[in-house]
Amino acid sequence: MDHTTTPVSARHADATTLNPPTDPRDLPIEFTGSGSEYFRIWIVNLLLIVVTVGLYLPFAKARRIRYFYANTLIDGQALAFHGNPWKMFRGFVLLVVLMGVYGIAGRFSPAVGLVSFIALCVVWPALWRASLQFRTANTSWRGLRMGFDGSLAGAYRAVAPLYLPLIAFIGLALYAPQPGAAGSEHGIASAETFGFAIVAAMGAVALALPWFIALTKRYQHSGLRCANQHARIDLPTWRVYGLCVKTLLMGALPTVLLIGLATGLAMVSGWRGQGSKAAPLLLTLLPLLLTYFTWFVVVGPYAVARLQNLVWSGTRSDAVVFSSRLPFRSLMWLTLKNWTLTIFTLGLYRPFAAVHTARLRLQAVALTLTGDVAQWTAYASPGMQDATGDMAGDFFGIDMGL
Amino acid sequence: MNPADAAPRLAADHFDGSSGRAHPVQAWLHAGRLHWAGPEQPARDVPVRSAVWPERQRHGQRQVQLPDGGLLVFADAAAFDAWAAAGGVRAGGVVRWQQSWRLTLLAFALFVASLGVLWRWGIPAAARIAVAAMPAAVQVRIGERTLEYADRSWLKPSQLNSDEQAQVTQRFAAAVSAAQARSGPQPAYRIVFREGGKMGPNAFALPDGTLVVTDALVTLLRDEPQAVVGVLAHELGHVQHQHGLRQAAQAGAVGVVAGLVVGDFSYLLATAPALLVQMDYSREFERQADAHARDLMRAARIDPRVMLVFFDRVEQQARKDAGQQLPSVFSTHPANRERIEFFSER
Repeated sequence: MDHTTTPVSARHADATTLNPPTDPRDLPIEFTGSGSEYFRIWIVNLLLIVVTVGLYLPFAKARRIRYFYANTLIDGQALAFHGNPWKMFRGFVLLVVLMGVYGIAGRFSPAVGLVSFIALCVVWPALWRASLQFRTANTSWRGLRMGFDGSLAGAYRAVAPLYLPLIAFIGLALYAPQPGAAGSEHGIASAETFGFAIVAAMGAVALALPWFIALTKRYQHSGLRCANQHARIDLPTWRVYGLCVKTLLMGALPTVLLIGLATGLAMVSGWRGQGSKAAPLLLTLLPLLLTYFTWFVVVGPYAVARLQNLVWSGTRSDAVVFSSRLPFRSLMWLTLKNWTLTIFTLGLYRPFAAVHTARLRLQAVALTLTGDVAQWTAYASPGMQDATGDMAGDFFGIDMGL
Repeated sequence: MNPADAAPRLAADHFDGSSGRAHPVQAWLHAGRLHWAGPEQPARDVPVRSAVWPERQRHGQRQVQLPDGGLLVFADAAAFDAWAAAGGVRAGGVVRWQQSWRLTLLAFALFVASLGVLWRWGIPAAARIAVAAMPAAVQVRIGERTLEYADRSWLKPSQLNSDEQAQVTQRFAAAVSAAQARSGPQPAYRIVFREGGKMGPNAFALPDGTLVVTDALVTLLRDEPQAVVGVLAHELGHVQHQHGLRQAAQAGAVGVVAGLVVGDFSYLLATAPALLVQMDYSREFERQADAHARDLMRAARIDPRVMLVFFDRVEQQARKDAGQQLPSVFSTHPANRERIEFFSER
């Protein structure tokens, strides 16, 4: 039997090695994963996770990432994941210990809980950066490792818009008047001021959220590199604000309509005279459920699709231009289908949903390449100037993303 | 002829890890080593074990990760699987499981079974151990804080006069010491009285042994004071078995397990099993507390049937308030009939 088949390189555009083109050409992205295949991986993973009381989790994650990477073909060449599951296990243990200490600390006393919350907030950006480093450093395309060179200070700057109001919020909580401690008029007045301050702090968090999204996306994308290509991102903050306002309006409109409708119905049917409390309960529960439903099936996909398009269409490097055209409607219908089937199959449809979503989202992205990939050379590590961060990321194998 | 020449060869692309150039090569397996050679590249080889081999799947490209950071990419997945198997590269056990639908179904059945084992024995046992390991000082602190919170939120100072409070306390103390004399130690406790508002005739226990009694309960059973003793004995059962903290620990554990299975998909789906399991667990706790109450009453020579008066009156009250509450499907207490029968045995 002759196993000799046509090499990949002959079938794809690698003939360019002889005659390098300078014209931009499109690199197709293809996702070849299959739901039924991933279902089997998922089931076996779940069994091993439960039997090992969760210890298998990082190994399951490595196998899942490998499957998704091996099925993500850019210009006919799949991505490869090189993460060592044992390193990921160390990162997993570190995260579990951190979260465990945080969870237990709050039960002893609020002060200890607060201290551990602040400690967690302080280390979180560093962990986030380490996880970005680990994931990218263990991803390769055409044998070329990717990397992430966002600075540690940059990670803290990216989360600052969310952290500053949060710190104010915690500070207020510390000075909170103890209700019931004193029933004096002074106590009531300060409780009002306190409530106002809390609302103000929450408003500040909400106002800062789009800024936070813009900064984190900019940090994530501008730190990306592959071989000698460094990514840049053009993502104006005002556009993220625009998207958030649209999302909010979209989410609020049906809610307002539904509540209006429900109150109208309630008043017409005159339930007050009936003596039964079931009707108003139903009338408040129904809009709530519908609101929940619209947020997950309509508003969520809208935000996801538009943010993906905004972020990836703004990303480029010297030789590569990304663009994303993910139609909101396709993602909405897919989400609706995924949700319905997942609920009716009691979760068994989840792996299929994951594969379908990955296909839709990945294939919506297009890459345009100028020059010749064959000329790309591996990124030379800039000495050991930032070895600690890289080592922490690599030693602990912290991987927080999907 | 060299036996190595007989080994089947497969076309691949070699990437050296330092440039993006694909080198067309032929790869073959011989004597535990992976070889490759191409027109642009001299023959090279590495031990089969030193490379990271791909999992066998129907879809996707086959990539062999070489120890020097290089990559061998095989476009024809089916040909690769046959070639690797013929060359003696064995798939891991996990991979064999997920290749077969039959084994996948078995894995699914085992997964459901192990979830059942976790639910029935694993989580309750883990919660019992965790709570037993908790320092007493922490339990006292939790009890104090819970009462402080309840006092701030919905409890009001008791309207009962101190004589009536003292009578309830003394009657229960007498029953507890009688039970202690006959059948061994009972947990430490203290009784506090509160106006419970919407809670109605009720009592609840805190982890530090504080038993909170509502005014409505005492007034409801003014003519049947031994029934109050029974209700308090039930709450003392919750203290004895540390039900409060165990419940909290179990809720946390179920939440974690549900989160592992469906959590990244939907928070709502993850909380639903937690709630259902919670109700199942608390039914069992109620039965345990009932058993404690009946034992204590028998030891103190109180007829357990006084509890029937309590059940009867609570039910009457519930019927009076019908429509004001959710249907009793959501009740966490065992069916009244079951409890009536239980306390009817003398």
